[in-house]
Amino acid sequence: MYSDEELSALLRNPERQRKAFEAVVQQYSEQLYWTIRRMVLVHDDANDVLQNTFLKAWNGLSAFHGDSKISTWLSRIAINESVDFLRKQKSRMAMSADEDPGLANSLMADPYFDGSETQALLQEAISRLPDVQRTVFQLRYFEDMKYSEMSRVLKTSEGSLKASYHIAVKKISDFFKSHD
Amino acid sequence: MQVRQKDMMNEEKYIIDRVGKENPFRVPEGYFDSLASEVMARVDASEAPAPRKARQVWLRPVLYAAASVCALFISVAAYQSFSSQPSATPVAQQVEAATHQGEDSFDEAADYLMVDNQDIYACLSSDY
Repeated sequence: MYSDEELSALLRNPERQRKAFEAVVQQYSEQLYWTIRRMVLVHDDANDVLQNTFLKAWNGLSAFHGDSKISTWLSRIAINESVDFLRKQKSRMAMSADEDPGLANSLMADPYFDGSETQALLQEAISRLPDVQRTVFQLRYFEDMKYSEMSRVLKTSEGSLKASYHIAVKKISDFFKSHD
Repeated sequence: MQVRQKDMMNEEKYIIDRVGKENPFRVPEGYFDSLASEVMARVDASEAPAPRKARQVWLRPVLYAAASVCALFISVAAYQSFSSQPSATPVAQQVEAATHQGEDSFDEAADYLMVDNQDIYACLSSDY
């Protein structure tokens, strides 16, 4: 297990960067997987987005100068990839003639979703939020990420992130109240 | 402001009480054990970014064409400038005007062909 500083230094050394990147993948893949999975919800999609995240990171390694933490850099790529995936999925679904069974119903039929109906409804409520509110809610509610760290990942002011979280919480509680 | 903060905390508590924060998702068995090696296999199979030299080779005929067009523009511009402003205009001014006109035409041609100065310098300084 390497420290963030050690890995940053190794990643900038052309002779050792592949080995260092392998260590990065080993150290961060599980954490990143869960960030992505909470965004895209389906395991196979999360796996694809995770692989793309690491490929983007590897191909963009020259742009990583070690000024931010490795986890911050990777989280930023993972979130951008997830949001990009969701946008493409939304436009594909808008063009599809298939009837949408509703997200909560789809989740309840997913073999890799073990949650209750209420948990599926929460995911449906989250999926209806705009991209930024959705991302902020996931990072704050499920990952307890501090606003200062979130601000570095999303390159947005803390004030704006707090406002997004407050709005997201209000919309989700209204969603539940409307389903009572 | 404090009232809004309190409202938000109440709404958040409502969601926590109702749903909790447990992770409802799971992964196929052994997924994380093979994940790193699968990612590295894709990384190793990924194409390296195309080297800049290859682009210069491809651009070389285009650059030669651009250079010829520029030379023609400069010749025409110089001829027009000298013939329309006879003896009254000092030679230095005529040369300056012709040079500016030539530079403008050159820039236009370079923009059209989407080549930048670096590409042109690289081409001119290459062994070919």
